[in-house]
Amino acid sequence: MRIALSWLKRYLPVSPYEAGLADHLTFAGIEVEGIEELKALGHTVVAAKVISAEPVPKTDHLKLCVVDIGATEYAEKDENNQIQVICGAPNCEAGMMAVLALPGTALKEITIAKAKIRGIHSHGMLCSERELGLSENHAGIIHLPEDTAIGTLADQLFSLPDTIFELEITPNRSDLLGYIGIARDLSARLGLALIPPEANALPAANSSLKLGLINEEPELCPRYTARVFENVKIQESPLWLKTALIKSGLRPVNNVVDITNFVMLELGHPLHAFDYDQLESRDIQQDYPDIVVRKAFANETLVTLDGKNMVLGDANLVIADGKKASALAGVMGSKHSGITGQTRNIVLESAAFHPGNIRRTSYNLKLSSDSSYRFERHLSARYAKEISDRAAGLIMLLADAKGMGELLDNYPKEEEEIILGVRTSRFEHLIGFPISAEKMRETLEKLGFCYLQDAQYKPGIVKDILNLQMASPLDDPRTIAQYYRIPGYRKDISREADILEELARLIGYDKVPKITLMQQIMDRHAYRIQKKAAEWMVSWGAYETLNYSFTDPAQMEALGFNESELPYIQLLNPQSMNQSVMRVSLIPQLLTNLAYNLNHAERDIRLFELGKVYHKTSSAHTEPKHLGAICTGRVYPEHFKKPSQLLDYSWAKGCFEGLLSSLGIVSSMSPYQTPYLAEGEAYAYFYQDIMLGFYGRVTARVLEAWGVDSTNLKQEVWLMNWLLDDIVEICRNLATTYTNIPKFPAVTRDLSFLLSDKYRYGEIQETILALDPALVQRVQVFDEYRTKQIPEGYRSLSLHIVLQDQEKTLTDERVDALMASVQKTLSQKYEITMR
Amino acid sequence: MKDQLELMLKEAEQEIALCSNPNDILNTKAKYLGKKSALNSLYSRMKELSAEERPAFGNQLNLVRARIESLITERGNAIKEASWAKKAVVFDSSMPGMPLDRGGYHPLSIVRREIDEVFLSMGFEIAEAFDIEDEFHNFDALNTPQDHPSRNLADTFYVEGGKLLRTQTSTVQIRVMESYKPPIRIISPGRCYRNDKPDPSHSPVFHQVEALVVDKGISMSDLQDTLQNFAAIMFGPNVKSRIRPHFFPFTEPSAEMDISCVVCGGSGCRVCKQSGWLEMGGAGMVDPAVFDILGIDSEIYTGFAFGLGIERIAMLKYNIPDMRILFENDLRMLRQFKGEM
Repeated sequence: MRIALSWLKRYLPVSPYEAGLADHLTFAGIEVEGIEELKALGHTVVAAKVISAEPVPKTDHLKLCVVDIGATEYAEKDENNQIQVICGAPNCEAGMMAVLALPGTALKEITIAKAKIRGIHSHGMLCSERELGLSENHAGIIHLPEDTAIGTLADQLFSLPDTIFELEITPNRSDLLGYIGIARDLSARLGLALIPPEANALPAANSSLKLGLINEEPELCPRYTARVFENVKIQESPLWLKTALIKSGLRPVNNVVDITNFVMLELGHPLHAFDYDQLESRDIQQDYPDIVVRKAFANETLVTLDGKNMVLGDANLVIADGKKASALAGVMGSKHSGITGQTRNIVLESAAFHPGNIRRTSYNLKLSSDSSYRFERHLSARYAKEISDRAAGLIMLLADAKGMGELLDNYPKEEEEIILGVRTSRFEHLIGFPISAEKMRETLEKLGFCYLQDAQYKPGIVKDILNLQMASPLDDPRTIAQYYRIPGYRKDISREADILEELARLIGYDKVPKITLMQQIMDRHAYRIQKKAAEWMVSWGAYETLNYSFTDPAQMEALGFNESELPYIQLLNPQSMNQSVMRVSLIPQLLTNLAYNLNHAERDIRLFELGKVYHKTSSAHTEPKHLGAICTGRVYPEHFKKPSQLLDYSWAKGCFEGLLSSLGIVSSMSPYQTPYLAEGEAYAYFYQDIMLGFYGRVTARVLEAWGVDSTNLKQEVWLMNWLLDDIVEICRNLATTYTNIPKFPAVTRDLSFLLSDKYRYGEIQETILALDPALVQRVQVFDEYRTKQIPEGYRSLSLHIVLQDQEKTLTDERVDALMASVQKTLSQKYEITMR
Repeated sequence: MKDQLELMLKEAEQEIALCSNPNDILNTKAKYLGKKSALNSLYSRMKELSAEERPAFGNQLNLVRARIESLITERGNAIKEASWAKKAVVFDSSMPGMPLDRGGYHPLSIVRREIDEVFLSMGFEIAEAFDIEDEFHNFDALNTPQDHPSRNLADTFYVEGGKLLRTQTSTVQIRVMESYKPPIRIISPGRCYRNDKPDPSHSPVFHQVEALVVDKGISMSDLQDTLQNFAAIMFGPNVKSRIRPHFFPFTEPSAEMDISCVVCGGSGCRVCKQSGWLEMGGAGMVDPAVFDILGIDSEIYTGFAFGLGIERIAMLKYNIPDMRILFENDLRMLRQFKGEM
């Protein structure tokens, strides 16, 4: 719904709150989807009279207009206050009052300058609604009323500047589908007094025109009122009314239709007007027409106001005259009974309809309107008379009606009243902060809730207020409720909880204190990474072990360390010497686990432990978590499809690096020297300068020290050790960001060559990647071998080189050029021989 | 031109019927429907016809074209489907599948992970602290008298620097309450140490899970409910829990908690020593003295705590007869638990 600030101000003095109004609306639960600022146009946009409008020769639509701008200051006007302007609008004609923007005006889309069109000077522009930013209408220039004073500022005519709020009204709040509803909510939030719509005094009924009213469907139409107006003058609406409708997104039609629309926007309740003289009576003897509320007959037809042919059935409620359907109730009127320039007498309908029926009719006939939109959200029957009165006052005033009939009011069963109790204690219990009885009452009364009395709380809708047990000062205040009569327009309020929501919303969700429900004690990040790390080892076929936290200092010596290098924390009362210190590493116990299992005839062994080690530091001690693994044996168990293969450096390297890369860590490696791993067969990994861990082959000497017969083992033993706490900390700051998937296909080229053992594969890979980083995506070795045909000290390598351009498809020329440069560079730097 | 068209259709029909592979289909398609096909040239020759003849002939051309197209598609599909025909020899499904396999977790980890999940799903958080503790966090703050026997060297391991190896994970309670104001709802799984010689039911290193809840309005009934939920999730919906009076210095009232025997269902057996109940650990309401030490107002806040032995749960759950088995790390034992998560 579009709400203009200037119109809203009729009902609420919001001026002091204008700047924050969007926030107030949003926090009251009325979501602001858009804000449109209609800027002031200034003193150069004025009402002007078109004195003459002559076609410009050799053009099909341009007119040369002489325009009177009155006292408006403009240097180039003549002594009669006239200037000439070229205008292309079809409705531009001599004698009309129009809106002129003089040169220098900055409009929403263009800035007006003095121009020369077809050799004729034009001093400004006659404007359409769109050009002034009022609406999207650009069918012609604005036609001001004839009595507009020449030179009146457009800002004054159109109440500018102004702000338009585009509001999203939730489906439960039919009462917000009018300005008064929005103003009411804001009045409760801002503590301002609501200004009710002005009531025009109605004359006594004096029309001689009679009308019959028959309601056959009181279930579907709980209330129907009709009122006849005699001898109305159908004409354009006054400018203020047209402007109001335009700003709220409706097109002005004529004064009667505009009034029904205005009252709909103001009070949120649609009205309809029929042409009295098009209505017929049910009984031919009767000399005045009828309004009959009934279900449509099977296959009854109706041509809607907008010219659509509808075939109806008994699911559709219609407002008919004695013979034929004149309107789809609550949705749209028929064409034949609509208000036209010829209309003299009208019937004004103000009614209430069953929301479900309106929704089904609108849905089934694929016909919706501002009216059906409101009725299907359930409008109260309670206010039909007041709404009719409001429109009647405007019709008497603006349509010059000569007479007005009695209000025919069919309201067989009065809408049930809802009385509810609400407790301040319950508010605090549910919302989380206290509310005073006074604040509660003040807020609810601003919403139109009618306070009745205090009494003991009784859940549910109260049927008889007299049966309530009165409150006494001795009562527990928590059991005392304030009782309210809920206004009919609040169809969404039927329980205490609904009222509490009102209070919370209007006092402000931002006032609700944050009370800790849960602490952030847990290091979820560390927990997840530890879980993933253990899962990694399990997925590589390893079994988890758990070893004691204390260990044998002799084992560390057997690894080749002395205590000064890695000081232990000593137990003062150990059970035995071999459990006398806290472990500083997982490795000795993993070696023990390996030896134990080898002794029990296991050959394929992969074991890991994720646990704490205990480091003595100068000041205190630390208990970092490590992940250690020891692996030996076949990569795959024996199988007829797979050759048996022992795990080696590439398995250990893949396992070690894989965990790091699966955590998103980009690491670098360097040789690692430690007494228990074979020299040149151990590597440590780093992220920047933080060590992440290492892998390497266990020396035969160490295996022997653990009682393993290394000579007969005939398989390598590989160790891996990750410094998990450091990895956890590094990962804390890593984030994954999506990159777009390349649109252009990748090209793979292969390269096979002989390489001297002087050089390492990694250097080759880096060199190729660096040749054209934007193009070379990946270098991958897919074969390595040495045979008798290959000279001693050389190996054959075969690589895939994957090329891809993010911007365009690769051409053969470009690929060939790059491959040539790869070959040349590798030959020069690494003395390769192509194969 | 009409004759030519009919002749061409016949020829095409024969040739399409002879196609035997996808390549034939492509060639035939090019020959009869391609840019240089006879059919295409007939289209361009239509202008030679009179204006009256043209529509009829054009129509005929289109029909022939459509006929050839559908014949080619049909034949092409038939060739494709023939190529999908069943293999002459299908595999011997009794031969072994590729034996790529995962490893597995240690049974104590399996139980610990399950306990983690149970309590995480109940809204608990997991907290950890040092294994090497000071006397304050292990004893003093837990209201343990100075001369309490548990402080003996025969019960507690001491390390250099005046520290000790924590004898229960209750130390984490203290560390958490030092740093966080209530509400608190944590479990703290971890290693504990007691100077016991390894035997079927003792180990100098063992694992516990401690639970602690501190908030307004926490009562023993919350403890009861949490234990019952835990027992039901870990051991099955029919398992019952109970608490009975006991003594711990840091809880008041104190309790020991039992679950109905998971072996006999409560009727009495060797495992539960005919009692029908199995002891699971200690529990109770946090002693006001503990709150006082930590500066938490015991008039406003109450809380419960309990501690469970992970070894005991694992042994019950998997019917492991001797606690020492859990620390041998024998692959023949470990492999038995690969089916657990």
